[in-house]
Amino acid sequence: MIDLRVPANRFRTHALYFISPLLLLLIWAWVCRAGIFPEQILVSPAGVLETGRELWANGELPAHLHDSLLRLSWGFAIGAFLGLLFGVLMGLFKSVDSFFAPSFNAIRQVPTIAFIPMLIMIFGVEETFKIVVVAKAAFFPVTLATYDAVKGIPRTYFEVSRVYQLPTWHLITRIVLPATTPPVLTGFRLALGRSWMVLVAAELIAADSGIGQMMEMGRQMFRIDIVLVGVLVTGLIGFLLDRGLRSVEAHLGKWKYR
Amino acid sequence: MKRIKQFISRLSQANGLWLPIAVALIWEIMSRQGDAYAYTFVSLSQIAIGFSELVTSGELLVNLAATLQTTVIGLLIGGIAGLLVGGLMAVSPTADKLIGPLYHTLRQVPLLGLIPLIALWFGNGLSSKILIVSLAAFYPVVLNTYEGMRGVEKKLIEVSSVLKLNRLQLFLKVLLPAAMPSILTGVSQALAFAWISTVGTELLFSTGPGLGGLMQIAQEASRMDIVIIGVASIGLTGLLMNAGLSRLSQHLLRWRSVR
Repeated sequence: MIDLRVPANRFRTHALYFISPLLLLLIWAWVCRAGIFPEQILVSPAGVLETGRELWANGELPAHLHDSLLRLSWGFAIGAFLGLLFGVLMGLFKSVDSFFAPSFNAIRQVPTIAFIPMLIMIFGVEETFKIVVVAKAAFFPVTLATYDAVKGIPRTYFEVSRVYQLPTWHLITRIVLPATTPPVLTGFRLALGRSWMVLVAAELIAADSGIGQMMEMGRQMFRIDIVLVGVLVTGLIGFLLDRGLRSVEAHLGKWKYR
Repeated sequence: MKRIKQFISRLSQANGLWLPIAVALIWEIMSRQGDAYAYTFVSLSQIAIGFSELVTSGELLVNLAATLQTTVIGLLIGGIAGLLVGGLMAVSPTADKLIGPLYHTLRQVPLLGLIPLIALWFGNGLSSKILIVSLAAFYPVVLNTYEGMRGVEKKLIEVSSVLKLNRLQLFLKVLLPAAMPSILTGVSQALAFAWISTVGTELLFSTGPGLGGLMQIAQEASRMDIVIIGVASIGLTGLLMNAGLSRLSQHLLRWRSVR
């Protein structure tokens, strides 16, 4: 009997989870049907879905998504790679740390978005600018997480490895990598979220394609349905990126809880 | 000997200065390579001239004050709302189940991505900016208030039920002080987010005074010196506000027997 009750309870808590979002959706649909706001101000959920399907079918949404995600991947790959490299160097070598830390910390204080006008002036409004913005947004959290992770490896690990006379390669693959993976992945997750937000903002400011540009065009043409599709898609992608990295984190961090 | 050693150790402490000096030097050299370079690499003297121009005309101060005002109003609205919602969710399981999922769903949307929507609904004036900044401040305060209050030790709640405190007393006398460290962490995150999103909204709306608008106009007029001064003021002001807040939270938490 008890065994039967547990899944029932679990089902109930899961069902409860959807109540308030569903309620919001219902109120939204009802407000639209009651005609409280004109259609230029609020489009019904069904209308947004219809627009979304249309944009998907005529290839507009896939094209924008492709451009945005390509920028995100390039920028993130570059920023995260440099961040890893820099974080490890600063964490392992005091001299590197003392050379770069003050500048690093000073630049870290300035939000990436504030750099956008400057980067536009240096790189123009083309692809390079967007990739640099994303790379900058990814670089700092990854560097910081890597640095802290490397600094956080207990000294005893290194001492043990010396006692066992581990070759440097094994020191890296068997000690440094596993010990730093969980915090570095958390840094990756933070960085990816920030990169995505900054990319959308950069596309809102200056772009000829991408999900941000689609929303900005929708705003200028007073197409609230297109704007809402954009908001939903950016939210969904942010959510999926976060979830994806969380599951990687859980998978790679398993050894910790054994 | 001792002096030389001291000198060397002091030099190595100054290691951090080499990089900025090198960058400034390269920058200055690049600025002298002709007109095409001078467009991006404005000379250091030009930056100084631009700075004194902005200060004497009062432009810097006016725009800085406007940005600060938006941040502070947004932080107050978002912070108070966040405290109330987070507290409600922590105290009432029903509210937790109803608001929690909605909160976590809406939180997924990147805030600056909401700007076109909010611009369509509320125009691109001050109220839209404040709305976005308030939202930016709201999310972290809700989360930290909730977690802080849920993490209050059971024995404190048991004592308060022995003392027959009513719900309001429990909230004000037990939960709120006990959750204060976590709430203040939330407020400091909220301050950072509010500051970032204020600059972001000013860049995107570019109406009304504000550092973001100043930089946007300077970028269109190709005034790199003003853009650089804008970046530096944004960073510096953020740093100062952060330091001020951590002072304040140290003062508020002085009753704790930690450390």
